[in-house]
Amino acid sequence: MGAFETSVEATIARWFGIKPPNKPAKRLAADLAATVAAFEALRGTILFEDEPSSFEAALQATKEPG
Amino acid sequence: MARLADISLIQAADMVRTGEVTSLELLHACWANLDAVNPRVNAVIWEEREQAEAAARAADDAVRDKQPVGPLHGVPMAHKDMYYQAGKLSTCGSALRKDFRPTTTATVIERLSAAGAYTFAGLNMAEFAQNPTGHNKTFGDCHNPWNLPYVTGGSSSGSGASVAARFNYMALGSDTGGSIRLPASACGVTGLKPTQTRVSRYGVMPLSFSHDNVGPLARTARDCARVLGVIAGHDPLDPTSAREPVGQYEKAMDGDLRGQRIGVPTNVFFDGADEPIVAAMEAALAVLEGRGATVTRIGLPLMDAVAAYGGIVSRVEAAPIHAEWMRSDPQAYGAHISARMYPGYAIPAAYYVEALSRRGPVLKAFAAEVFSRVDVLVTPTIRTCLPTLAETDIDHGPPGTEHKFMALSANTRPFNYLSLPAISVPCGFDPNGCPIGLQIAGRPFGEGRILKVAGAYQSDTRWHWERPPVLNASE
Repeated sequence: MGAFETSVEATIARWFGIKPPNKPAKRLAADLAATVAAFEALRGTILFEDEPSSFEAALQATKEPG
Repeated sequence: MARLADISLIQAADMVRTGEVTSLELLHACWANLDAVNPRVNAVIWEEREQAEAAARAADDAVRDKQPVGPLHGVPMAHKDMYYQAGKLSTCGSALRKDFRPTTTATVIERLSAAGAYTFAGLNMAEFAQNPTGHNKTFGDCHNPWNLPYVTGGSSSGSGASVAARFNYMALGSDTGGSIRLPASACGVTGLKPTQTRVSRYGVMPLSFSHDNVGPLARTARDCARVLGVIAGHDPLDPTSAREPVGQYEKAMDGDLRGQRIGVPTNVFFDGADEPIVAAMEAALAVLEGRGATVTRIGLPLMDAVAAYGGIVSRVEAAPIHAEWMRSDPQAYGAHISARMYPGYAIPAAYYVEALSRRGPVLKAFAAEVFSRVDVLVTPTIRTCLPTLAETDIDHGPPGTEHKFMALSANTRPFNYLSLPAISVPCGFDPNGCPIGLQIAGRPFGEGRILKVAGAYQSDTRWHWERPPVLNASE
């Protein structure tokens, strides 16, 4: 098992007390490396908005014209 | 008698209202199919026949007495087994809730009842609404009525299969990453995922509160329009539900698509698509053009962001709901359920907040670029021919099975993060005799427009009326 997988399992055990329930769980936990890569690729591409209701506002702003 | 179950929900409601047929006759027609076919399809996991017959007789008495009746009066229904009805079983498809009887009733159930409908059964589903295939360790896998070894789609597996097999005129499903549209596509029925916040989720088992949606699976788009008109609208018990006015969805379905601009994505949605799916799509587009719509090929922006951000929201939100059971009784879950939830505990909170905080900006940027050029997007609901249950069995399959499993929902998940309404309508069959679905998505609160397009398509096609062979074999 690689360092990434070891750290993921250790984090989950430490923070939640949950062990990998089966082999597919271990494989899917290892796939989190792809999630990290996807987030890395997005850095700097989308501006952060600190308005907490931005999603609801966006629904209104983009809705079907009445 | 059984052919009475072939009609649409609207036909059923109208025939009861005019006295042409009784609600009890509808119920018995559905049960004739259920008794003949459910042992092979496994869409229904519990029934309440005495109560249902009593409800049918009461509905018939109301018609006979010329009392005012609602738009769904006397229509028997069964729903995905996660819509709470006080005192009734609601297993959520799991051994962990096999005896669970909630003390509250879902608002959508209250609204359907107020419109005159009643329920007679609970429907099979993925455990806790968490798979796109129909596998279920506790209640048994749900089988596709068109070809029994094949997946039904999920997680509303029993909803899709029961409507296809004529046990039911309409079934509620829930959709967090495609769970209404996938079984609608795989089972050859029509399924509508409304805009996020359009329909109350009070009394509905939660999976991911940012992505969960409630909607109907039925024979036709017009059926879905009638149901949406009943269940949509603000609910004080669900403060997240929208205050947007509810549209006159049925009235807007005039079949005229002149001036409607249809966009067909040139990226993502056809990656690795099978040829029969592409051919069915092109044929469907020709039908829509024949109704007056224009078709434009369009590259969709921000799909990497949609995939990355959308991919973590559901996993993180499901994690705390299940943490106690994942600690104390993880083997009670199917292996594919616990395996998929497990990584959600390791995703940093900052990633989750980033994904949510960028949802608004991503939606605005996507809508500005896409909906300035087209009115709706049309894609395959599932871009490949359907796999079998065995081919997608993570619990017993080889490494890599999970990728085939997840590929099923590749075309539906983006619209959950974007919150857009989307409908799946039948548009053909693959070489294995399994249905193919056409997905139509629109702007937020654009249910009226996508129903209009879907209804126009169904005016010129017969796919949604086709009967699965399993019914013919039982006659």
